[in-house]
Amino acid sequence: MGGWVGKIARINLSTGKISVEDLPQKTAVDYLGGRGLGARILYDEVGPSVEPYSPDNLLIFTTGPLTGTKAPSSSRFSVTTKSPLTGTILDSNCGGKAGLRLKDAGYDALIISGKAAKPVCIIVDEKGIKIQDAGQLWGKDVNETTDILLGQAANPLTASVACIGPAGENLVRFAAVINDKSKAVGRGGVGAVMGSKNLKAVVTSGESKQIAADQETLDFIVYEARKVIKQSPITSIGLPTYGTSALVRVMDMMGAFPSYNFTESIFEHLNDISGEMLREKLFIKQKACWGCPIGCKRETKTANGTGEGPEYESLWALGPECGIHDLEAIADANYLCNRLGLDTISTGVTIGCAMELEKRGIADEGVRFGDAKSMLKAVGDIAYRRNHGDALAEGSRRMAEKHGAKEFAMQAKSMEFPAYEPRAMGVQGLSFATSNRGGCHLRGNMLGPEMLGVPKIVDHSGATGTVGLLIYHQHISAAFDSLGVCKFAGFAVSDELLARMMTAITGIEFVPQNLHHAGERIWNLERLYNLREGFTSKDDTLPKRLMEEPLKDGPAKGRVVKLAPQLEEYYRYRGWDANGVPKKEKLKQLGLEA
Amino acid sequence: MSMLEEFQRIGRDLFLSGLVSSHGGNMSVRMGDRVLITHRGSQLGQITEEDVVETGLFDNDSGIMLASSETPVHRTIYMQTSGLAIVHAHPKVAVALSLFEDEIIPIDNEGSYLLHKVPVIASEIASGTAMAGIVAESLQKYKITMVRGHGCFAIGQVLEEAYQWVSCLEESALVIYYSRTLGGQMKEFRKNADQYKKW
Repeated sequence: MGGWVGKIARINLSTGKISVEDLPQKTAVDYLGGRGLGARILYDEVGPSVEPYSPDNLLIFTTGPLTGTKAPSSSRFSVTTKSPLTGTILDSNCGGKAGLRLKDAGYDALIISGKAAKPVCIIVDEKGIKIQDAGQLWGKDVNETTDILLGQAANPLTASVACIGPAGENLVRFAAVINDKSKAVGRGGVGAVMGSKNLKAVVTSGESKQIAADQETLDFIVYEARKVIKQSPITSIGLPTYGTSALVRVMDMMGAFPSYNFTESIFEHLNDISGEMLREKLFIKQKACWGCPIGCKRETKTANGTGEGPEYESLWALGPECGIHDLEAIADANYLCNRLGLDTISTGVTIGCAMELEKRGIADEGVRFGDAKSMLKAVGDIAYRRNHGDALAEGSRRMAEKHGAKEFAMQAKSMEFPAYEPRAMGVQGLSFATSNRGGCHLRGNMLGPEMLGVPKIVDHSGATGTVGLLIYHQHISAAFDSLGVCKFAGFAVSDELLARMMTAITGIEFVPQNLHHAGERIWNLERLYNLREGFTSKDDTLPKRLMEEPLKDGPAKGRVVKLAPQLEEYYRYRGWDANGVPKKEKLKQLGLEA
Repeated sequence: MSMLEEFQRIGRDLFLSGLVSSHGGNMSVRMGDRVLITHRGSQLGQITEEDVVETGLFDNDSGIMLASSETPVHRTIYMQTSGLAIVHAHPKVAVALSLFEDEIIPIDNEGSYLLHKVPVIASEIASGTAMAGIVAESLQKYKITMVRGHGCFAIGQVLEEAYQWVSCLEESALVIYYSRTLGGQMKEFRKNADQYKKW
């Protein structure tokens, strides 16, 4: 099978047993890879009785059929597990090289189970897989860990390190796995699950040897795909010049840029933290993930050091969400999150929530709106669960609940929201409420059609018709995550081009509808997983603030999210019953019947 | 903008740009298991609230009495593709070309870039289930397809996107027509020109 290697490795850290099995072709075609493959495995093997930190929970590294191929922006890999933050099915993905090196080593996926008796790391290369002592690495940050392990690799140029920092070791519920020092498998606590298994790092090495079924056609389609990337001002100018922080001004202009824990929808200090200011003050050079012609990454510097970022979400979460406009402090906090292995979004939004509780006199977790110093201290304390950091390390929902103030946690299913004010958008709130991994923008982002006009600008006041569009985007997002392609490429590269690349690489004919259908299958399987875990339609909700408190100013002044009618329409469009349960006919259509 | 306004905006543009005659063409939008479609015999340039009717996607209801005669084609397309909107129009030059070609391969920059190739399929009956099947099958691979001597069907996430493919096709067809009229040897500017036929 071109695209897929056809092999999955199982590693039991409790017993040390390692085995290799075939990836069934039907599973590969039905679930594509990446997120979809991870969901299928987790659904089959991790039931409701398994706690997220139990040795029986799985940590599944998966690649997609396009990972590491000539397809543009195709270095992505996923990590799937049961989330300690949300209790839902979780996958998170990133654009580091770990995935493509895993494929180069000869595996589509690693299924890691059990718990090592002492800290270990897993070494995967073309010769095989071994479990190695990592006692000397435990306690070290991401940069130190990565440097040491790369130094031990036979060829550091073809090796990649995905590891946890102190946050993962200390079971911070939103700890990340960091690949290549700066690419975060960020959301939902994959790093905490890795820490619970005493697994410090996964090192993957291999020489690229991927082949396509029809190389000539692939070259043509890749050429065409790169052409559309070059022609789109989003992917050829905006993202390369300003990185994702190009969105700061755009979102603020639309009144969709939340600040002060979503009590405001615009930010008074916007000019201090805009993409333009970031470029002027901190920019060193543009960077790109492997094989990406867009290059939205950037190396930056502050008085205290250098690093990658901050991305739009990180800049917002550690900045305006906390009422902070000190760009250097925001960048420093971002570097720190990367070194300690923290998800920047959940870190910032949890701190922002604590700041609001302090302002309201409900609780004092040692942080104040606008106080960059307290925010920076909190980041470190969270990773080590020191002082107030121990409460914050539980995430915004649990922390606020402890103080009887859950409504001030800006989250859905316990996952903290990203930098999109749902009241200023049509169905972004519905997207957060229905996301299978909780409040997240990457499961069906309406940024394209509602804000950037991709493919065309649509009404973002929540008018009829956009619910269907959200579902469309939820499905194609699942496909992107499963193929191993970055969604930013999707601002230019169509589902048609993706399907044609899949055909040329795998030799199996794919049409766009196959990708949407796979996306729908994955979405429904994830839904079934969450229902089996005890989630119900009552969990498809948002904080009261977003549904009851009209925006005070900005272009979207006066608006709230009218979730109930949208949700009703959403369930019907999906072929689910009024309780949000997929109907038998829908499951049959998707091949998911029991 | 409401959905009605969207129908009105695209319908007016289709008519004014000559892509449909006074009562030709139709449009629809998928809303889950429902379809909003233009009324049978409506004037796309003059759409009113009564001209957009709702019917079932999978099941019939009384709305079918009012819906476009090509509703079965729209339904089949929705069931077999990821499209959320359909525009059916009668672009004159593309229709003329379809009488001579099995596929329309744009030679202009925009058409090459956006469409690459538009297949031409044949069906004498405009609204039959046989045509529905082959149109839908074609639209699984292509965002727009021509029915020989009849017109085109285009899909998109929204009506405006489908309309863009129709407009782009007609412009490409016009450029092909002009180029053939001019005669002579065309100077190729596309790196992979020979590959478009394989699209």
